Amino acid sequence: MHLVHHLEEVMGTVVTIDVYAHAAAPSVEITPLVDRACLLLHQADDVFSTWKPDSPMSRLRRGEITCAQAPPEVAEVLELCATARDLSGGWFDPWALPGGVDPTGFVKGWAAQRALDVLVSPLVTGAIVNAAGDIAGFGGPGGSRPFRFGIVDPTAPGDLICVVEPPAALATSGTYERGAHLFDPRSGRPMARVASASVTGPDLGLADALATAVAVAGGDGLGVVEAVDGFEAMTVDFDGSMHWTPGFPMAAIGEAAPSAGGQGHDGSRSALPGSPGPNR
Amino acid sequence: MRRAMIVMAATVAGLVGVLTFRTTPARLTLGALPGASVTRTTPPAAVAGAPPPPSSTTTTGAPPAPGPTTTTTPAPTTTAAPTTSRTATGASVNYNWGVMSVSATVTGTRITKVFIASLDDGGNSRSQSIDQQSIPILEQQALQAQSANIQGVSGASYTSAGFAQSLQSALGKLNVK
Repeated sequence: MHLVHHLEEVMGTVVTIDVYAHAAAPSVEITPLVDRACLLLHQADDVFSTWKPDSPMSRLRRGEITCAQAPPEVAEVLELCATARDLSGGWFDPWALPGGVDPTGFVKGWAAQRALDVLVSPLVTGAIVNAAGDIAGFGGPGGSRPFRFGIVDPTAPGDLICVVEPPAALATSGTYERGAHLFDPRSGRPMARVASASVTGPDLGLADALATAVAVAGGDGLGVVEAVDGFEAMTVDFDGSMHWTPGFPMAAIGEAAPSAGGQGHDGSRSALPGSPGPNR
Repeated sequence: MRRAMIVMAATVAGLVGVLTFRTTPARLTLGALPGASVTRTTPPAAVAGAPPPPSSTTTTGAPPAPGPTTTTTPAPTTTAAPTTSRTATGASVNYNWGVMSVSATVTGTRITKVFIASLDDGGNSRSQSIDQQSIPILEQQALQAQSANIQGVSGASYTSAGFAQSLQSALGKLNVK
């Protein structure tokens, strides 16, 4: 049963925590877990915020402290970012951003995943941490059902383009997101080659980084993600057509909405790996 | 602030349009497996002037509460689901251009209406255009999500986070998940 629904304002947004537990589970046993999860989110924000001038990450970026003088999570995250950069074929690169190294594109997912991990308990059948559309979860809403999540159609944002049942994590990046935060490390300029990119996998930090990479890389990105064990990707082109890796956990495809224009969309599975995409 | 109020009025008008636009649940094609070639088709345009939802009794929700909100579900009961409509306003949530709160109306456990209760973006012109475009869309998403029986929505919209959080808060007050 759905035992706890919690909203936490943190990291410049609102994070939702949902806990599903056995019917007999007392909420007093669950509440401390949620508190602990929230604490981790705030700690991550305090350490990594590039908006807070006194955060260790901001001070590191200004050269006021070294990595060794920063809290240990900083080195941990930067190491994970380096791994993500390598796995993404260089399409995700926090070191190529203007203004110095900025792990923000990794930290939100990483922090949500860490927060989720503390919700694991024998009383809990499933839990979700949803950080503004980047979702980490384990278990399910009850019975043997998995969690299902909708993905917004970037070409008709009033609609869901599909429903997925990810193994653990689901992240989406796209150009309709606020601000031009998608940055092409190869050209050194803001750039995206698809309208949106979604990545599923066992870890939200890496899924978040890979979603950013695929949004920038376009069709090439699907092959990149396909090569990463346990991760799958789906892109939506600017014309609304969809491509996804063979293992993408698609549960349902949405029909085009009767929106203005009323144009139908033709989607097709991409012929992976490394097939040419229409936006290359 | 005056400009923000104008935006709110325009937005609410937009929501009404959406609500009459689609009164049936979104259809999702189940069982479309990866590997199959997929064609997304466009259904006929929605019939304009679809009948409005049944007349409803609206109860005023609690005032928006600042800060984090936790809703704990009580033990399940066996009472029959109420059939009257109830409305609650969710928490005021900061999104990147200001503060918004969302109201929801439910009949029994079914969401029948979602609308913006308040929106203050401080008169920011960029956010006004985005809000006018995105908020009716978000309202439609909320109704769609319900019909798809999902536990969350993944998307790259910053505004949608604030909308979704306030909406969930409203639904929590109505004991609807």
